[in-house]
Amino acid sequence: MISTRILLTKGTDLKKTMKDLPYTLLDHTGDMAVCITGSDPIDLFENAGRALIHIALGDVPKDQGPSFSIDLSGEDLEDLLVQWLGEILYLLEGEKQIATVFSVEHLTASHLKATLGIIPFDPGRHEILTEIKAVTYHQIQVTDRGDHWEAVVIMDV
Amino acid sequence: MQIKLEQLDDNRWLIPKAGKMRVPGLIFSSKALIKDIEKDQSLVQVTNVATLPGIRGYSLAMPDIHWGYGFPIGGVAAFDVDEGIISPGGVGYDINCGCRLMTTSLIANEIMPNLRKLLSDLFIAVPAGVGSTGVVHLSKKEETEVALEGAAWAVKQGFGRPEDLERTEDHGTLEGADPSVLSDRAMKRGIDQLGTLGSGNHFLEIQVVDKVYDLQIARAFRIFEGQVTVLIHSGSRGFGHQICDDFLKEMGRQLPSQKIDLPDRQLACALLRSDLGRRYLSAMACAANYAWANRQILMHLVYETFIRSLSIGPKELGMELLYDVCHNIAKIERHTYKGREVSLCVHRKGATRSLPPGHPGIPPLYRQAGQPVLIPGDMGTYSFILAGAPGAMEKSFGSSCHGAGRVMSRSQAVKTAKGRAIHRELEDRGILVQSKGKRTMKEEIPEAYKDVSQVVEVVHQAGLAKKVARLKPLAVIKG
Repeated sequence: MISTRILLTKGTDLKKTMKDLPYTLLDHTGDMAVCITGSDPIDLFENAGRALIHIALGDVPKDQGPSFSIDLSGEDLEDLLVQWLGEILYLLEGEKQIATVFSVEHLTASHLKATLGIIPFDPGRHEILTEIKAVTYHQIQVTDRGDHWEAVVIMDV
Repeated sequence: MQIKLEQLDDNRWLIPKAGKMRVPGLIFSSKALIKDIEKDQSLVQVTNVATLPGIRGYSLAMPDIHWGYGFPIGGVAAFDVDEGIISPGGVGYDINCGCRLMTTSLIANEIMPNLRKLLSDLFIAVPAGVGSTGVVHLSKKEETEVALEGAAWAVKQGFGRPEDLERTEDHGTLEGADPSVLSDRAMKRGIDQLGTLGSGNHFLEIQVVDKVYDLQIARAFRIFEGQVTVLIHSGSRGFGHQICDDFLKEMGRQLPSQKIDLPDRQLACALLRSDLGRRYLSAMACAANYAWANRQILMHLVYETFIRSLSIGPKELGMELLYDVCHNIAKIERHTYKGREVSLCVHRKGATRSLPPGHPGIPPLYRQAGQPVLIPGDMGTYSFILAGAPGAMEKSFGSSCHGAGRVMSRSQAVKTAKGRAIHRELEDRGILVQSKGKRTMKEEIPEAYKDVSQVVEVVHQAGLAKKVARLKPLAVIKG
């Protein structure tokens, strides 16, 4: 049936835009579409976590904090990516904890095991720049580009 | 993917049935607006919705349609209660995001000298912006009561008056709410956010009635030119977002067992008659009720601030609720379909209910006039009050548009606004603005939205809702 994909616009220089950050924003009328890259799936997932926190809070000092374990089962890498980002978002929104260290220890098409370093959200030190309502499944893509991996995720903001 | 559109008349465009579509698509739009609509992928989303089981009539779209996730924003779809589905993506993350309009006895000239102070006082009194927490501190038990009772809970706590409930869609309480189906996460995200405006496109606006189009209906709505009104746009906050998220996940996993083939994962749904479908309806009703309680509390904060800031009495202020409408919801409603009266589950995602004169769902006060339909524009132009028009039930399952609709992505808007002082630009146009976030102001620049006047003209001409009055912003609070 009919399905659509977001395409990177011609001339988008991912390497340039991602020199400092592991993601770039793509045009999407209603919400926020984010393109993330990584050298392999594990790197991609860790970068996706960093991207979410950067979009929400900007630069956060990587303070040493307690660790938080995540263990997820999913249908495929796309499902796992949405769930993974959903967990990081819930920690921020529901538990008021910012993930600052992202360590994916095990990743297959159906299972993810990771440890996050977290610090408490402190309104005096941290400012939420973008309120992310949710990470959506809409047009989610995880793609092996040969020399790197790439994901496109739409966040409801 | 190229969508073939057939123009039916000045305000309707048909997408003929093709592929796996079970019904045709029907877009309410003018020739001018359809050009913008064709630029994004919202029309593909209309066709995707048309493939869902049990859909009846058409996969509809309002003139403010734009690309959403799963369903388009501005989409309306009705499903048979026995054969059809319910989809969290057809409601949206911000369940019962909606608008509430209050009228006053004040005329604009009376408040102009104090407008800046009034806006500052409102900015302090009404929690807004990202991560804001409410003036109401709920226990878990109280949060459960909010989910069950909605606006009625807020009135019981002293926020507003019992007559406000009559002027709220579904009396501010959607039946069937069951907090026992909610996750701990949803409860946790909702517990400290009641009585907050939120961020993004949510706002609070002091306005003046700038033009009356229909004097008779305006009288019924107690609106007159020069009158000061206040519009609140907010929803169910993190509580609703988490409920949508929880059920999307669960429905996605159960799709294979329900044998539903989807063109987009975000359309995850469940049969209405299934246990999962019924549980989502109960959870969604909890979020709808939370949102109505939220707007009821916000209204009361505005009421108290006006009295305090302007040093006037309640009588002099004369603040009354005109109406409260939701525009992200799915509801079981009675409709006539193929000559028979049937129950349908009408999804309105970025669309407003628009009941015609005489409909029993309208409070007696407005029954002759039609249901008030509130359409906010962007912060630099106008908002509109309309009334449900005769024929809306047949044409759109009693639905109308919900706003201007974006034409620019948020990042595009920020780029367009770069180097500009949006506050000053608006002030030069006679509109004061206070905002929590600089980025929000840029994301919400007037150019990022369609011309709301054109959107409203389409629903008026198409006979979905009738123009009653136009409201001009005087002062705006953005989250």
